[in-house]
Amino acid sequence: MEITIDNIAEQTIINIKGRIDTATSPEFEKAIAPVIAGDMKDVIMECKDFEYISSTGLRLFLVLQKSANAKKGSLLIRNMNDDIKNVFNMTGFTALFKFE
Amino acid sequence: MFKIKKSLTQRIVFYVLTLCILIFLTTLSLFYLSSKKQLEQVTYKNTAYITENTALKIEAILTPIMKIAKNYQWMMIQMKDKPDSIAALTQKVVASNPEIMGSAVAFIPDYYASKGKYFAPYSYRKGDSIITKQLGNENYEYFYMDWFQIPTSINKPYWSEPYYDTGGANALMTTFSIPITIDSAGVSKTIAVLTVDLALDWFTEIVSAVKVLETGYASVISKAGTFVTHPNKELIMNQTIFSYAKENDNEELRIIGRAMQTQKNGFANSTLNGVHRIIYYTTLPSSNWSLAVVFPKSEIYLPLRKITIILIVLIVIALTLLTIIITKVISKQLIPLTAFSKTARQIAKGDFQTPIPQIKTEDEMLELHDAFHFMQDNLLHYIETLKDTTTAKEKIESELRIAREIQMGMIPKTFPPFPTRKELDQYASLIPAKEVGGDLYDYFIDDDKLYFIIGDVSGKGIPASLLMAVTRSLFRSVTLHFDSPAEILTNLNNSLAENNDSNMFVTLFIGILDLNTGHLQFCNAGHNPPIVIREQASFLEVIPNLPLGLIDGFQYQQQEKKIHNGTTLVLYTDGLTEAENDSKKLYGEERLLELTSTNEHLNTQQLVETILEDVHAHVQTAEQSDDLTLLAIKYNGPTRKYEKSVSLINEIEQIYILQQFIEEVGEDLDFDASLVMKLNLALEEAVSNVILYAYPKVSGKKIIVSAAYKGNDLIFTVTDTGVPFDPTLTEHPNLDLDAEERPIGGLGIFLIKQIMNEVTYSRIHDVNVFTMKKKIDPKNE
Repeated sequence: MEITIDNIAEQTIINIKGRIDTATSPEFEKAIAPVIAGDMKDVIMECKDFEYISSTGLRLFLVLQKSANAKKGSLLIRNMNDDIKNVFNMTGFTALFKFE
Repeated sequence: MFKIKKSLTQRIVFYVLTLCILIFLTTLSLFYLSSKKQLEQVTYKNTAYITENTALKIEAILTPIMKIAKNYQWMMIQMKDKPDSIAALTQKVVASNPEIMGSAVAFIPDYYASKGKYFAPYSYRKGDSIITKQLGNENYEYFYMDWFQIPTSINKPYWSEPYYDTGGANALMTTFSIPITIDSAGVSKTIAVLTVDLALDWFTEIVSAVKVLETGYASVISKAGTFVTHPNKELIMNQTIFSYAKENDNEELRIIGRAMQTQKNGFANSTLNGVHRIIYYTTLPSSNWSLAVVFPKSEIYLPLRKITIILIVLIVIALTLLTIIITKVISKQLIPLTAFSKTARQIAKGDFQTPIPQIKTEDEMLELHDAFHFMQDNLLHYIETLKDTTTAKEKIESELRIAREIQMGMIPKTFPPFPTRKELDQYASLIPAKEVGGDLYDYFIDDDKLYFIIGDVSGKGIPASLLMAVTRSLFRSVTLHFDSPAEILTNLNNSLAENNDSNMFVTLFIGILDLNTGHLQFCNAGHNPPIVIREQASFLEVIPNLPLGLIDGFQYQQQEKKIHNGTTLVLYTDGLTEAENDSKKLYGEERLLELTSTNEHLNTQQLVETILEDVHAHVQTAEQSDDLTLLAIKYNGPTRKYEKSVSLINEIEQIYILQQFIEEVGEDLDFDASLVMKLNLALEEAVSNVILYAYPKVSGKKIIVSAAYKGNDLIFTVTDTGVPFDPTLTEHPNLDLDAEERPIGGLGIFLIKQIMNEVTYSRIHDVNVFTMKKKIDPKNE
């Protein structure tokens, strides 16, 4: 897993590459901590190279969304592949997120 | 036969009758035409004769009267000086000639001084008596009358125009006047006229007695043209021929009238009262009157018509008799034909011994009889020969049939051939062009491997079938010792090439398919490349090598290919691609490829039948030229029990070993990436749960994960010896909640249940056994 966060103007782009599984989730959690701590005004999750998610990963996505909602910010998931989206579907998460 | 006979008779009768009728008609026409001419001539001659004869009859009466008058003229001259005896003379004339109605001697005026101006003693008949009186007074100055004037002036006897004597005889009369002339001093002088009156009733009788043909009649006209006698009484004395011609606007008749006045005699034609008539006239020399005979021209031919009608009636009777006789005679002559036709039918039915009708006459019927006899003998002989050859042929055919049964027995023909093998769907068809053929296919399974061949022996018929049997037996025996396609074919080739004096060869394709992995090894010996159908159809790329049996020691090269689940192989012989229709067009590989491409969804039996139907549609009525063989093999993928397991310890990084294990299972079972990811997720959730919670504060503990595939079920089992925990009891998260209300966590077991079809937990002797079952959709394999 490789997470890079780009701040371009007002936008915060989180690039996810690889797998967010039970083993890598703590790392992902650490990586996104500054974003959660921020204003979350315009956060984009770039999922082009996102390969796999486990329930621990889903949990962190939910944390991000909750934070965005609490701060009246916005969270947009971009380019997520169908297999992962299917996992979101199974858990009812699709309704909670905005996809592009 | 009866019908033909009847019509034959009819035809003969028709021809004979037509000819007879033609002959009769020609003869009759010639007869009619010549008779007509002759009849015309005879009639004309006859008419002239009758007319002249009648004229003579009339003359025979008139001439004596003229003679009498002339005698009395002489007597008168002698008595000219005795006027008182003249009355006695006239009386004597009348009395001695019964045909004379009256007689007078009329003197020129004042001839006798003593007798005054008028002196004309006249005697006439009244009843039986004869009355004599003097003619002439102031009212009747006779010397101005025609009967006096004309003979006196022309000094010739003169016949008066006919007239009605109203005063005397009260009959139609004519008067013959003759001048009495004396010579005085060398000058002849007419002193009186002697007249005799003649009643014309006898005249009318004679003339009306003239009958020519049916309605022909005679008529007399006077010199001036007045009708003296005529069948139409109204014309007599009332009309002249000229006034009549004018009244009827008949110019011809006028000309005829002129001719009658001027010519002695002659024929004339005219249409009178609408009928074409012939007229013959002749002059009565004594009076210059003219006698005419008139008859309708058509009546000339009346007798001819009668004869003709009689002749026609006779001909018709004759022809009727002829028809009856011909019909009877011919029918009688044709009776044997009916018998012959019956015989022919009997022979046709197979009764060769049937008696042939006996013919006593030595004619064509006898020839026919002989021909029948000849035919019967030959047929008998021929049938005998045929029986022998048929028996011999039947023997060969029955042997061939047995050979075919033996040959067909060599090829597996039970479908499906391996019903318990779900990995395979197979169907085949072999249609030999003759009773026995040189095509072959065969297959068997050994050690989870399908060995299959399809082959085509050069040539057809019995020699090809023998080599085919040899090839098939060799295949079975060689495969006992060798298990690579190249080795098998190399050995087969060597065996076949040995002692191959007839230079026959076999093209053959061999394949060995590993039913567990879909790994195909194959080797081709000059055979048509098989078709591989996987979504699209394409030819398998093959090294052709050489047909078997040609070169001893040839090393065959084999190839290999991964056969994916659901792939169909179609093997065939050139009898399929080279099937010809009537216009010699081949079925062709392109058409086969196209057809298989569009029918990839069919099972092998349907596919083979579809291809055969299409070939049949192409070939239609053309004769099958070569053996035609099709073998279709569909590989469904492995179905045997699959088991794999991995041992982990309770460290979170071990999930990557788990991931690798799941990927291996997916590859072994040919799963797609999406399914592999889902399985990975479910297993990770289950295993990470154990890693994180089953062994608190203890590391290096074992977790066993095993996968088993049976039927369509994929079963994963996770076992550990940690604290008892039943994950199935975990509450389901409420999926309808908002993000804020959703608890963080509790999703793992939910995801497992979502991905798997069945999840069970059991605790057996301090061991947690967590089982997850996933049904695999065959399409997803």
